[in-house]
Amino acid sequence: MEARPGPSAAVTALRGVLPFLVGAFASLLLHFVVAPASGPFATKLVMDAGINVILAVSLNLVNGFTGQFSIGHAGFMAVGGYTAGLVTYYGSMLLWGSPAAHGGFLGGGELLFLAACLAGAAVAALAGLLVGLPSLRLRGDYLAIVTLGFGEILRVLLQRTGDVLPTAAEVRRTPLPELATHVGGALGFTGIPFYTSPFWVGIFVTVMLVVAYRLKSGSHGRSFLAIREDEVAAEAMGIPTTRVKVTAFVLSALFAGLAGGLFAHLVGTTLNPRELGFQKSFDVVIMVVLGGMGSISGAAIAAVILTLLPELLRSFSEYRMILYAALLVVVMIVRPQGLLGLGEIWDVWRPRRKGTGR
Amino acid sequence: MSGPLLSVESISLAFGGLKAVNAFSLSLGRRQLWGLIGPNGAGKTTAFNLLTGVYRPDSGTVSLEGRRLNGLPPHEITAAGLARTFQNIRLFPDLSVLDNVRVACHLDARHGLLAALLRTPRHLAEEKAMEERSRALLSLFGLEERADDDARNLPYGDQRRLEMARALATAPKVLLLDEPAAGMNPREKDELTDLIRGLPARFDIAVLLIEHDMGVVMDLVEGITVLDHGETIAVGAPAAIRRDPKVIEAYLGTGAVDEAVDEAVDEAVEGRA
Ligand SMILES: Nc1ncnc2c1ncn2[C@@H]1O[C@H](COP(=O)(O)OP(=O)(O)OP(=O)(O)O)[C@@H](O)[C@H]1O
Ligand SMILES: [Mg+2]
Repeated sequence: MEARPGPSAAVTALRGVLPFLVGAFASLLLHFVVAPASGPFATKLVMDAGINVILAVSLNLVNGFTGQFSIGHAGFMAVGGYTAGLVTYYGSMLLWGSPAAHGGFLGGGELLFLAACLAGAAVAALAGLLVGLPSLRLRGDYLAIVTLGFGEILRVLLQRTGDVLPTAAEVRRTPLPELATHVGGALGFTGIPFYTSPFWVGIFVTVMLVVAYRLKSGSHGRSFLAIREDEVAAEAMGIPTTRVKVTAFVLSALFAGLAGGLFAHLVGTTLNPRELGFQKSFDVVIMVVLGGMGSISGAAIAAVILTLLPELLRSFSEYRMILYAALLVVVMIVRPQGLLGLGEIWDVWRPRRKGTGR
Repeated sequence: MSGPLLSVESISLAFGGLKAVNAFSLSLGRRQLWGLIGPNGAGKTTAFNLLTGVYRPDSGTVSLEGRRLNGLPPHEITAAGLARTFQNIRLFPDLSVLDNVRVACHLDARHGLLAALLRTPRHLAEEKAMEERSRALLSLFGLEERADDDARNLPYGDQRRLEMARALATAPKVLLLDEPAAGMNPREKDELTDLIRGLPARFDIAVLLIEHDMGVVMDLVEGITVLDHGETIAVGAPAAIRRDPKVIEAYLGTGAVDEAVDEAVDEAVEGRA
C-alpha cells in the first residue's frame, strides 16, 4: 500500500469530537436563546420531542438495524427513569435536606441529575442484558414475547411499591435498599426535582444521533445490519450473531434508560407505571416503523411528527390510537419499509444510494 | 506441519430416517482444487452444512490444520478459516455491493465499539483498510462499477460472483463453493472457470467445489468425490470418474435424466459459442 500522508492526529481528534461540540453549541443556543423566546409550552413540546427522538432512534438499533422485534422499550425507560428519580429525590434529601431543585445551570443539583441519568442508563443496560441474553439466543418472535412480558411485570411491580414517600428525617434513618422500594406505587413518583432542560435534552439527543450514525457507518453497525438482512449468512461470514444482537439490545436499553431519566425530571410529568406501560412501547414502535426500519433520520423525524401531531389534533385525542393504527396499516401497505427504509433523509437527494458508509 | 490442511473423517448426518450424508471423508492439501459431485439430493449441500457448522455431525470429525472444528458454532468455524457460498444465494439484499463484502471483512477489525463511536485513528485506519480490501475483491470479480448498488439489484451471475467475493473477504484457508456457475450463461461460466482456477495461488487457499456442470468441474479440479444418496460412491481423478460405471449409473439411474439432457444442451451451446 502506498503511504499517503493522512490528516494529522490533531485533525483526526477534532473530527472525532466535532459533532459533539456542534451539538453542545446548538443545545446552549436552544437553552438560552430559542427556549426563552418561544415560551414554556413550546419548550415543553421540544423536550418531549427530544426524548421521543432518543427513544425511537435507540429502539431502531434493535428493531431497525438488527431486525429483531422488541415491544418493551418503555420498560427500559421506566428502569432508567425510576433509578434516576431515586438518585435525585433521595440524594437531594440526604445532601440538601429537601428534594427541591438545587443550584443553577451546571450547579450541584444538575451534576447530581447527570449522575442520576447515567446511573439510570447503566441499570437499564443491565436490565437489557438480563432480558436479552436468554431471549436473543433463540430465533423468531421470542424477543417480542419476552420484552412484552418484561414491561408488564415491571409495571405490576412498580404499582405495588410503597406509595407513601418518607420524609427527609425518615430518609436519613432508612437503609438505602429499602428506599428503593418507596417510589410512589400506582399513584406515581411525585416530587422528583425538575432538572430536565432544553440543554440536557439537546446534549443527550446529540449523543444518541452521533452514536447511531457512527455505528451505522462502521463495521460494528454493518454487523447489526447483516443480521437483519440474513442471520444465517451473517453467521457464515464470521459474525457472532448472538453476541452482536445482545450488544445492540443492551445499547438500545441504555439509551432508553437515559430517555427515562430525562422524562422523570421533566416539568409537568409524573413518573407513574401506567404512563410507561405497553401504550408507550407501542408509540415508539410506531415511530420506528413509520420512519423507516434502519433509518436514523427517519425514526427521528417520525418521533418529532408523532409528538407534535397529538398537540395539533388536541380535540381528536380520544381517536389518537385509531389514527395511529390506521396510519400504520396504510404505511404497511403502501411503503412497508417505512418512509425512508434503510436510507437517510440526505440520501433522498442523491441519485444513487452510497453504501451505508462514508 | 505436513498433515493435510482440511481433514474430514467419516462424518454422518441423518434427518430422521434419511441418511443425508453417510461416512463422508475428505482430505484437502494446500492450494488444492477438489470437486464434489452427485445427482440432486445426493447430500452435497448437507456435507457443506456439516463442514461449516450449520448442522452438527452425528459422528465423525472435521479438522483444519489439526484443529478440531466440529461442534463449534458457524461463526467460529468461519473465523478459523472455512468460508462458503450458498447454493440458494444468500446475500444481504438491502446493503450495497461494497457493504456486502465489507461486512465479511469485520474479522480484520480489532478495534472495539467505543473506538468506533469516538472515531479513533485506529478505527479510521482499520475501516480504510477494510474498504480497500473490499474494493480490490470487487474489482477481481468485475463488480467495482456496481459497488454502490444494492445487492438485490444485481443480475443473477453478478450475485453469484458477489457471494464468492464476500466469502473470500473472510480471509479463508479453505473456500467451499456451492454451485457457483448455476444459472450462468456459457460465457460467464468460462470466465468463472478461469477465475476459480486462479484462486488457490492468488489467495493461498484450497477450494472445494460443488458443481453440476461437468464441463466446469472436470476442467478445474485435481480430484473428485462423488456422492449418491449420502454415500461416497467414487473418489478419483476426473478422467477416471468420467468412466466409472457406478458414477454413470448414479447419474442415469436416478431422476437425473433431465440433468443429463441439460448438460448435453449446455455442451452443444458451448460448442457453438
Ligand atoms: N433440513 C433438512 N431436513 C430434512 N431433510 C433434508 C434437509 N436438508 C436436506 N435434506 C435432504 O437431504 C438430502 C440431501 O440434500 P442436499 O441438499 O444435501 O442435496 P444436494 O446434493 O445438495 O442436492 P442438489 O444438487 O439438489 O443441491 C435430500 O434428500 C434432502 O431432501
Ligand atoms: Mg445442493
